[in-house]
Amino acid sequence: MANNRSNNQDYTRPLRRLILVVVSLVLLATFLVWRIDSPRVERFRAQVTDRIVPNFDWAMAPVTGTVNLFRDYQSYNRIAEQNQELRRELRKMQSWKEAALQLEQENARLLDLNSVRLDPRLTFITGVVLADSGSPFRQSVLLNVGARDGLVDGWATMDGIGLVGRISGVAKNTSRVILLTDASSRIPVTIQPSGQRAIVAGDNSAAPPIDFIESPDLVRPGDRVVSSGDGAVFPAGLVIGQVAADPGGRLRVRLAADYERLKFLRVLRSHPTEPVTDTANILTANDGKPAPENGEEVPASE
Amino acid sequence: MRGWFVVLGLATLFTHLLPLSAMSRPWATPDLMLGFAFAWSVRKPVYVPVILLGLMLLLSDLLLQRPPGLWAFLGLLCCENLQSRAKRLRASNFAAEWATVIALLVGTTILYRIILAILLVEQPNLGSQLIQTITTILYYPVIVFATHVLMGVRKGVPGDMDARGGRI
Repeated sequence: MANNRSNNQDYTRPLRRLILVVVSLVLLATFLVWRIDSPRVERFRAQVTDRIVPNFDWAMAPVTGTVNLFRDYQSYNRIAEQNQELRRELRKMQSWKEAALQLEQENARLLDLNSVRLDPRLTFITGVVLADSGSPFRQSVLLNVGARDGLVDGWATMDGIGLVGRISGVAKNTSRVILLTDASSRIPVTIQPSGQRAIVAGDNSAAPPIDFIESPDLVRPGDRVVSSGDGAVFPAGLVIGQVAADPGGRLRVRLAADYERLKFLRVLRSHPTEPVTDTANILTANDGKPAPENGEEVPASE
Repeated sequence: MRGWFVVLGLATLFTHLLPLSAMSRPWATPDLMLGFAFAWSVRKPVYVPVILLGLMLLLSDLLLQRPPGLWAFLGLLCCENLQSRAKRLRASNFAAEWATVIALLVGTTILYRIILAILLVEQPNLGSQLIQTITTILYYPVIVFATHVLMGVRKGVPGDMDARGGRI
């Protein structure tokens, strides 16, 4: 140990180079394996996240709390004018409440007449948001419920009001929710009241654009966007948001869910979807009966 | 000190993962992990051995939803390049170091996108990636300041000894 160190350096340099080459090759191999067999590596990624991120949780809660406290403090400055605004809105709401109560009674009567049985299988599990995606290019959050709680890939996730995203990647204790704003998110929707079918395609912006509308002139800003249940991606009728037109004239969805404050999310247990066994016949899966085409003569019961 | 790099890496990942808001923002956060890896590579290469660096970069790839391995591989090559220049950069001023880092970052970003394009991987959009590169470049002096003053990781000066009394 104590003898000439400059000699020693001559020995370590090739070794160092060797380690560099080995580590680089391992990294490159990881990337190539991911490219070839992505699901396996993604499962590995979910397991790594599952091991590491819950350990951060004890520290994340106070830090997030403190930051939010400061943000809230800033909004206290405008509290007086907010109060006025809220009073005005409350007055408006009261008239709406009356209307809603009447409609509720009417609805109950009609349901009774029809003896409709609401789907009992649509139950939910509530989870808490652990972490966000951490990357500006991906819109997703991590929930603290996972395979342990019976979660399955593809289930819909909502906050109290609207659809937030879908489960993609389930580990034992955590699961990842791909938000509607993520660039890889595509959700089939119906636009009410015109009944147009379309696709909400995320593009990393706060309001995802609506693609594939058959006749855009039937759609107006302010129309409601709900999930259509096409392709058995999601249960039908989940609220997504309202149509809005951006300055370029493109139709987008103003999301109903409050993406600024995602804290508790409910994961809807969907019905088990048809297992796909045959790659060629996916489009005509409901045997014999042709799949409904872009929503022209879809029966109202859909 | 090697342990400190792990702590630092986990801390940067922690800040990235804080669930403050799920809104997509128009600006992109800087890649702090890579910035610190660069700053430490220039100052004290012995604190960031290759294996440790590879592991931390791969971990950040996995946690931050990037294609695992590629960004880590390119970052590792950059750090190695900086470490081999460390002796020369030690003698020069900060501007030279910054220029080197800018060149490496821009080169890496371009190479990263080219490789992803060749392998037909879905790419993050060009705008936010450019913004991320630029913010990382702009944050680099801050990172260096933190490294130098707060963490006390400084460039070696002639006559410095390592822990076992050898020249570095």
